[in-house]
Amino acid sequence: MRQGRLVATGVMLAFCLFALWQSLLLSLTDRLGPGPGFFPFWLALIGAVLALALLFTTFREPIDPADAEVRILPHGPGARRWLAIVVLVAAAAVAMEIVGFRLAMLVFNAALVIALGERRWWLIALFAMAGSFGVHYVFTTWLDVLLPAGRIWS
Amino acid sequence: MEAFHHLLAGFAAALTVKYLLFALAGCVLGTLIGVLPGLGPAAGTAILIPLTFSLDPTGAIIMLSAIYYGAMYGGTITSVLINVPGEAASVVTCIDGYQMALQGRAGSALAIAAIGSFVGGTLATVALVLVATPLATLALKFGPVEFFALMVAGLCLVVGLAGKNMLAALLMTVIGLLFAMIGLDPVRGAPRFTFGIEELYDGIGFVPVVMGLFGVAELLIAAEKRQARMIQADLKNWMPTKEERRASAGAIGRGSAIGFVLGLIPGVGAIVPTFMAYVIEKRVSKTPERFGKGAIEGVASAETANNAYANAAMVPLLALGIPSSPTIAVLMGAFIINGLTPGPFLFQERPELVWTVIASFFVGNALLLILNLPLVGWWAKLLKIPFSYLCTGVLIFCVIGAYGLKQSLFDVWVMLGFGIIGYLLRKLDFPIAPAILALILGPMMERSLRTTLEMSGGSFAIFLDRPVALVLLTVPVIVLGALLLRPGTFSKLRETDTD
Amino acid sequence: MILRRRTLLAASAATATAIASPAIAQNYPRRPVQLIVAFAAGGSTDVGARILAAAAEKDLGQPITVVNKGGAGGQIGFTEIARARPDGYTLGFINLPAVNTIVLDPERKAAFNMESFIPVVNQVLDPGLIWVKGDSPYKSLKDLVDAAKKEPGKIRACTTGILSDDHLAILMMQEAAKVEFRIVHFDSGTQQLAGVMGGHVDVAFDNVGSVVKRVESGEARGLAVTDVQRSKFLPNVPCTKELDYPTVISSSTRGVAAPKGTPADVIKVIETAFLKAINSADMKQKMDVAGLALKPMVGAEYAKYYADLQKQAQKYTEWALKMR
Repeated sequence: MRQGRLVATGVMLAFCLFALWQSLLLSLTDRLGPGPGFFPFWLALIGAVLALALLFTTFREPIDPADAEVRILPHGPGARRWLAIVVLVAAAAVAMEIVGFRLAMLVFNAALVIALGERRWWLIALFAMAGSFGVHYVFTTWLDVLLPAGRIWS
Repeated sequence: MEAFHHLLAGFAAALTVKYLLFALAGCVLGTLIGVLPGLGPAAGTAILIPLTFSLDPTGAIIMLSAIYYGAMYGGTITSVLINVPGEAASVVTCIDGYQMALQGRAGSALAIAAIGSFVGGTLATVALVLVATPLATLALKFGPVEFFALMVAGLCLVVGLAGKNMLAALLMTVIGLLFAMIGLDPVRGAPRFTFGIEELYDGIGFVPVVMGLFGVAELLIAAEKRQARMIQADLKNWMPTKEERRASAGAIGRGSAIGFVLGLIPGVGAIVPTFMAYVIEKRVSKTPERFGKGAIEGVASAETANNAYANAAMVPLLALGIPSSPTIAVLMGAFIINGLTPGPFLFQERPELVWTVIASFFVGNALLLILNLPLVGWWAKLLKIPFSYLCTGVLIFCVIGAYGLKQSLFDVWVMLGFGIIGYLLRKLDFPIAPAILALILGPMMERSLRTTLEMSGGSFAIFLDRPVALVLLTVPVIVLGALLLRPGTFSKLRETDTD
Repeated sequence: MILRRRTLLAASAATATAIASPAIAQNYPRRPVQLIVAFAAGGSTDVGARILAAAAEKDLGQPITVVNKGGAGGQIGFTEIARARPDGYTLGFINLPAVNTIVLDPERKAAFNMESFIPVVNQVLDPGLIWVKGDSPYKSLKDLVDAAKKEPGKIRACTTGILSDDHLAILMMQEAAKVEFRIVHFDSGTQQLAGVMGGHVDVAFDNVGSVVKRVESGEARGLAVTDVQRSKFLPNVPCTKELDYPTVISSSTRGVAAPKGTPADVIKVIETAFLKAINSADMKQKMDVAGLALKPMVGAEYAKYYADLQKQAQKYTEWALKMR
């Protein structure tokens, strides 16, 4: 845990330093006073200082033995489910604009419920249809929300 | 009192079957819109404007207003059940509401939200009737200078929430503010920190970020734990227990007051009163450590303030013709399309219309309660669906929500990315709420500061001329500083009482 | 100069082909049409667009859905329109001079230019209006100018956005009357309203359509309409031309445009349908009630207006940019 916090704080520190650099590229003052880079600059500076302070105090903390058991990144069988969600959502996002919302979500629905443990094929099929074609109908026809139609179809 | 007579006449009209049905339809539609992520009240109301073309003006306004505060409640449902805020202000409800759901008390959470919303909305409307115009005119004195001060005060309050984890909370706030700087800057109107990505010109979308940080992250955490169902606890009875009711009473009272007062100020946005009510409730509580773990007062205060705000936000519109928020601007557009201009003029010219609308606020609030309370039990049962289906279903909605806002695939990636970030932050005990508030308030803060400086010709001395702003600015900063520099902040970071 | 000629040429070529084309597309439109509005729902542009969409639907024969893509002062919506497939199923409202100033500001890095759009039919020409609070000490434009002369850089004048038509109007006024205002930028007409009514700024440079009802009721006082003639909605408010400021002419123009490359015969169908809707009695009545002045323009007239405005906008935009 402590290691995880240190890494995270380090990332935040890096982020603040990056923001600091970027805001220096913008002008800090203009005719009326603060320019577009003014606030990001000071915020990034304060952020960097805070991150450093947090790094310092995290280091100084007494190590809690119970902490060592806590793993930050997903591990074990749960990791497979975790990964399934991330990968499938990403895949659906990419596929949506190519093959269209309905097809992409059809596959996504089926794949995800299976990956999460579902085995009753009839329920899977029903759910997959409802969650893709059904949902698409409701949103585009009744609610006027535009969903991707898919490049290959037009 | 002439106003009273008008109000009675208004009730007589509002309770006719026709307008009753419009209010009912509005409440139902609004709740549905609120439940569907990404389709916030503004977008939903805009979609329904064409519908109202065919209705008479009074009917149209009644229905649209009902949709507006109905959507506020709908947002609560998803906040409590799946930790996905239906719209900005519902973020606060997620904090305790979702925890309550995990303990099997989703029913109580939703019920107290419905009751609190009803009380808050009704009290706000009563106050509206009594003091609309003079208060509204007074509220106009709240300009960009005071606005900036209010935002700063709000942020300080939330960081103060974090107790012993304040250093981390402060860092998160700053990072949230940095993210808020992405987009067109208020100085030149030129893109800043966008790295050529045009989707970022309007800033990083708030909805995808929040859906990711709250909703998707939650799903990822639950998936890793390999739960068969989202909640393991048994479902408790949906009516809040006597203790819960008593505890919430004070919260509801305070929430109503805060929501109403801030609702009078155009442009404040629902999130400020909601956060403030929550923080204040935590401060006055005798057991503040329960907040963030399922304290019903947390839900009660947030929801009441939310609805009191929504009803009070009608005051600037009706009394002065100034819409408080983009959603109300849509409402005003509906007025205009139907040939009416809200404002003092309308009060004098068509009192029967205005008072019927006001009466229908009362009716609508009651309808919302009657509609939603019985359904609370059913909503809570949803959480018992097998995790595989619940998770996938929620993701479908989140993807639609993120995409549907601007037909932008980029927003879906933002949501996914922040889902992973949210997962990590939760595991590492970093408080997310301050970052969210900063993300929302950041742009408003910078803009109002910029406008303030334009007004003063570049001089910061303008703050000295405005006592309200000065107080709002200095007191919280001083208090925060004192809290931060307490001995113990820098050494003991394990004991936290954050969200 | 080159820019203007090229724009004029391109625009008139597109519209000329449209008029000369013999066959009107027989199979357009076959499905609903999208109309993109680059500003928030409920605002003046949106109100006008929705009224027009509802009226033109009947003549076009297919539903017209208004889609709001607000943000970045209109840039987001305009980019959408410019990038849309030029098949006639995605149209948009372009606001002038908003499009002009975005294109002219190099820092905005606009993904479109004047040639990205084919202006089809103009709907509204909303002249600028200089107004103050009803109980303000400034009873006329002269009062305002005198006060500004006495205290240069002190009188707070507000706009609805950086490089908006309001901003340009202030710059024109400053040039013509040789005064200097303290310019305050808000983000919308609503904020402007709250700003003036709350006493945070002294005068607003806005448009007639946004405030007409308030001037009528006395809440606001119109000092001048920045046009060559008085507005029919505000007959008692003088225009800048008669007040000896003939160079201070500014307005916000909103009309329907199609992305570059849309076939000429499709454009013709669109033009016919929308023009019919604009000239209908129902439309005129609704727009009157909303306080929006109709000024239908098509073909060469619209193209010329489009190009002329670019030249005018260029001068003042460069001036505004130099002030940074």
